[in-house]
Amino acid sequence: MQCSKCGNPKVIYKREQSGQLLCKDCFIESIEKKVIKTVRKEKLLDRGDKVLVALSGGKDSVTTLEILNSFRQMNVIDICAVTVDEGIANYRQEGVDIAKRHAERLGIEHKVVSLKEDYGITLDEIMQRPKHKGSCTYCGVFRRTIINKAAREMGATKIATGHNLDDEVQGIMMNYLEGNTDNLTKLGAKTESQAEEFTVKIKPLREIPEREIGLYVVAKELEVHFDSCPYAMQSFRGEVSEVINQLTEKHPTIKYSTLRGYDKIKGVLKKEMQKEYAHGRCKRCGEPSANDLCKACSFLEELGV
Amino acid sequence: MEFTLKYKDINEKREMPDEDYTIKDLLDELELSAQTVVSKQNGELVIEDTVIQDGDEIQIVQIIYGG
Repeated sequence: MQCSKCGNPKVIYKREQSGQLLCKDCFIESIEKKVIKTVRKEKLLDRGDKVLVALSGGKDSVTTLEILNSFRQMNVIDICAVTVDEGIANYRQEGVDIAKRHAERLGIEHKVVSLKEDYGITLDEIMQRPKHKGSCTYCGVFRRTIINKAAREMGATKIATGHNLDDEVQGIMMNYLEGNTDNLTKLGAKTESQAEEFTVKIKPLREIPEREIGLYVVAKELEVHFDSCPYAMQSFRGEVSEVINQLTEKHPTIKYSTLRGYDKIKGVLKKEMQKEYAHGRCKRCGEPSANDLCKACSFLEELGV
Repeated sequence: MEFTLKYKDINEKREMPDEDYTIKDLLDELELSAQTVVSKQNGELVIEDTVIQDGDEIQIVQIIYGG
């Protein structure tokens, strides 16, 4: 058995979808090349961009930072990072510390924003309320709002998130299964909002399977926070993920074909299904909002915060 | 014929049931999916088809968690 590319007998990975065998160096190179290819193909970066990396300290965001940093080293872009501390006891702090160390190692501007400081409540406190909408609903909305604000404050022109192939395929299937055509129009490698205040979001890892990102960080010996969010079990995403992974065992290319199929129909979907943007403002915080209150503020009102 | 298993808090010596005992066999025994872990043999990353040798140290790192 030897590496399909260089002949090295120390194989660390077998790509089920292609049968390709790879040694450590060729595997690392293949991931980096593929991400760079996505960046070029989807035109994710423009010369002079300041990219804000949403850095949790987990494998996906650390990989995003690591590979985008190669563009920074070539003076194509500048990078900054923000870490959101949702206030999840015995879970988040380690990720925050790891994120700080990566930002320091690379010498990039980094900011930690906590839900407690910004909104006066932690996710743990929300979850103790008798009536709540589920952890991921709050976490997603608050995190998005915090990251958008940080991008404006730090002068970022793009926001890079660590969404991988599995995340993207889960998003496509979840929204399809829920009949959420509005959200379905918002997926993709690059999402531009009609509101100027919302910075363009890019997903450089969207063609890399989650397992390959895990192997990449171990192979490159990057420090990451490998742990499960204590609230993860409650999500519909988890159920969808399980079904897709079961299908992948017999059909190893199914995640790629789901992504390709979505990319083919995305243009039509957007044209036919995208809602007209309402140029309103949230009465409470002033952020762009279709209703009187933006999602984050309507949650805060319900929570009495 | 035995090897050392390191996985999370586990650090123990285990007997090999047969000569062609692979990391995949070990993962099956531990009820772990090869999709969620990576394996190291004596500190070096290896694929799951690798046959475990007498005296090996096998480390399993979980890389994917639910959610």
